[in-house]
Amino acid sequence: MDELLQALAQGLLIGSTYGLLALGMGLIYSVSGIVNFSHGDFVSLGMYLCFALFGALALDPYVSLAVTLPVMLIVGALIYRFLIQPVAEAHALMVVQLTLGVALALQNGILMVFGGQPHRVPSVVEAKLVMLGNVVMRMPHVVAFVASLALATALFVVLRSTDIGRAIRAVHQNARAAALMGVDVNRVKVMTFAVGIGLLAIAAALLAPGTPLMPSMGLRYTVITLLALVLGGMTNFLGIMVAGLVIGVSEALGMIYLSDTLGMILPYAVFVLIVLFRPEGILGQSRS
Amino acid sequence: MLRIEGVDAVYGPVKALSDANLQIGKGELVGLLGANNAGKSTLMNVLSGIVPTAAGRVFFEDEDITKASARRRVEMGIVQVPEGRLVFPQMSVRENLLMGGMNASARPKRAEGIARVCELFPRLAERLDQHAGTLSGGEQQMLAIGRGLVAGARLLMLDEPSLGLSPLFVKYIFEIIDKLHKDGLTILLVEQNLNLTLRFANRCYVLERGHIVVEGTADQVRDDPRTRSAYLGL
Repeated sequence: MDELLQALAQGLLIGSTYGLLALGMGLIYSVSGIVNFSHGDFVSLGMYLCFALFGALALDPYVSLAVTLPVMLIVGALIYRFLIQPVAEAHALMVVQLTLGVALALQNGILMVFGGQPHRVPSVVEAKLVMLGNVVMRMPHVVAFVASLALATALFVVLRSTDIGRAIRAVHQNARAAALMGVDVNRVKVMTFAVGIGLLAIAAALLAPGTPLMPSMGLRYTVITLLALVLGGMTNFLGIMVAGLVIGVSEALGMIYLSDTLGMILPYAVFVLIVLFRPEGILGQSRS
Repeated sequence: MLRIEGVDAVYGPVKALSDANLQIGKGELVGLLGANNAGKSTLMNVLSGIVPTAAGRVFFEDEDITKASARRRVEMGIVQVPEGRLVFPQMSVRENLLMGGMNASARPKRAEGIARVCELFPRLAERLDQHAGTLSGGEQQMLAIGRGLVAGARLLMLDEPSLGLSPLFVKYIFEIIDKLHKDGLTILLVEQNLNLTLRFANRCYVLERGHIVVEGTADQVRDDPRTRSAYLGL
């Protein structure tokens, strides 16, 4: 019983960050129709930036955000404006190719600069534990959980009840009508891409403490993000968040109850099962 | 108020509009007539700035806006109510109206604009929290017009407002257009419905394959044989 609770807690904690990763992708997808295959590599870029700042200035990853967040926002805006926008009107596969190219460039760039050996980014809270009954939780996971839920809530509120949020939804629902209302559609696309990548800077800081950094780790985050995105129904933001939690929990259950290799398969098996029976996403009809 | 001189518009290799000259005076209701694909919507999109002007110039209140962005034009009060309404289906009626008032010059007056639209269209006032996608075609047309009014339209450009509506709604929408016109709004009306347009418009232009072939008062346009041929594609 304790084991089960432990797995559930761990899964929910880490799953919230998966949800955050996927929200970033969902935001980009809903506005620009782009599936960003370099998503996970931006997470690793964010983590390596934390590592570099720790090496240079001994900054805690949470503090590093003051630098990494603006950097990633700008990188996101530039990548959309100068790489994606020129091919955005072309075949959808062009953009897929492009983001795959960005993924490889990031991965190998990181390998060149930081080398292939694993790195660590320590944090002051890293070794702290939180006890809830018999369930032991690592402090960085608790921080990640609280921060992810807070950010997701903030994102929902912005989308639901601010002008900029309405403009984003308007571009998603009918870009032409939005343009006729004076919305600068391209600017909204650049901005949401930047925010989507900026969210990854935050996710990276939340994931960094205790995670061994490898240049190739991005792919795993991309895959997890895609799972949560599809499971959530692509544009249903609440669904995406729930899907992130489902992936996190099935990963944790798999690791505790099944052998190593089998455990790794569980999230994918759960994904396949849910998509088989609910192809429209985990929360029923998607909002698009 | 609005004047275009020698305007061309192209879609790739296709010239959708050639050497178009047109004028709209303040307070006028001007009709733009023509068969399908005659270039009516293109002309309207050129005025809105979402189709670039390939040649010629566009003036609004004597300011050259040929190169102005779509957003700038909305801020100046050149507002299009597009064909097929294009409301935001998953937003409430209220949010659609708020979207209308997104532009910088309309935003401060948004609440008054919405109140005015509610007065003009009581049916919308009853449905402010309903999703726009669940409205009937006629109600969506009201919403699209309302959205344009909240946007602060000084030149309201209506693209086929009667399209797909029941005769009763067509009559109602035209009464509203007439009322807006009588209240002093300048209107450019694109329509296939020749008779209705000729009844309400001060002046009309007839487009045929990208060229303006007839222009004049409603009576002149009605009596011009080229109008009929432009419509029948003869």
